[in-house]
Amino acid sequence: MNRNIIVAAAFFGIVIIVIAGFSSYYFSLLEAQNMPMIKPTSMINLENGSPALGSESAPITIVEFGDYQCESCYYWFHNTRSTLIDNYIETGKAKLVFVDLPFLGRDSITAAQASYCAEDQGKYWEYHTMLYTFQDGAPDSGWANQDRLNSFAFTLEMNMDEFNDCMDSSKYKIRVKANYNEAVKNGVQSTPTFIIISSDGTTKKFAGAQPYSVFAATIESML
Amino acid sequence: MFSSYSYVLLAGIIFVCMLIPLSILSEFLFIEPFFVIHVIEDRTFGFTLLVAISFMSAVVIPMNIYRIRTLQKSTTKIGGSLLGSIIGASAGICSCGPIGFSIISTFGTVAGTATAFLTNYEIPLRLASLGLLCLVYYTTAKSISIECKIQ
Repeated sequence: MNRNIIVAAAFFGIVIIVIAGFSSYYFSLLEAQNMPMIKPTSMINLENGSPALGSESAPITIVEFGDYQCESCYYWFHNTRSTLIDNYIETGKAKLVFVDLPFLGRDSITAAQASYCAEDQGKYWEYHTMLYTFQDGAPDSGWANQDRLNSFAFTLEMNMDEFNDCMDSSKYKIRVKANYNEAVKNGVQSTPTFIIISSDGTTKKFAGAQPYSVFAATIESML
Repeated sequence: MFSSYSYVLLAGIIFVCMLIPLSILSEFLFIEPFFVIHVIEDRTFGFTLLVAISFMSAVVIPMNIYRIRTLQKSTTKIGGSLLGSIIGASAGICSCGPIGFSIISTFGTVAGTATAFLTNYEIPLRLASLGLLCLVYYTTAKSISIECKIQ
């Protein structure tokens, strides 16, 4: 009898966990559906995001919302990004802007701040690349702690006094927070999420470390 | 027991209902903006395990339902098979995804650690889940063959 009660309780617990998990996902999908995938005009504020990679006059803007500790962002960086750069950014058809959505841990926030300290020395994209090259292990496991952030700056031959002053003063804390708020305002609920903006302001949004073919088809349809 | 169409249908439903949502949550399958299956080389083993877990769940759960309905046996083994399926299902659900985001936004750092655990130990957890499902399959198959002979 007791055994049956334990089994019944286990079933009940499992069912609750499954329902809670899927309802959470379902509601996030519903919320995402309320934000239409194609918007008539772009209202995304990119002034706190990264410097644009590519030509400022490129007709297409690819906005990536990401977290430096996100594994999917790592996969996208290493499997899709370089082909996208070769075919659309270096050819002047598109530019890429990275907007931080640092939600996975405290090191996500400091890594994002460090990237803007690198921007002060003209090395934003080099530092960005360094972070995604050396991402290793779970969030806050130490791969992006203060010592590692300093060592990345040192490797890029940055002025360490300037970099340390920037980090110690938390100069870019508000900028990173503003990026987080901008992402949430635009209905971003996972990383990486991409918003592609055409020259007439039309936007298309999709999430996940999707393959190059998806980006190519989307961009071609908006050119 | 799989000579009965209703159990084959149930197995098919369980397989599809596990594989598709889990592939979406683990970011192997994308439905927006296009329907795309994308399994990168680094994650091929994880995807193979996901397919294996869905398949084993689809075999083991109907076997246990048959055992309970037809032979009026206890529900202990189906508990094991559901546990195996759920461990396999939750492993690898990306902490960067919408579930991770909503859990971390609501519950904070502790939830972040838990979701990171599920992401980082995706392969060992899926292997453990598969092992549990294989064990349940073995004991259930043995139990059915003995009990059916007696009856």
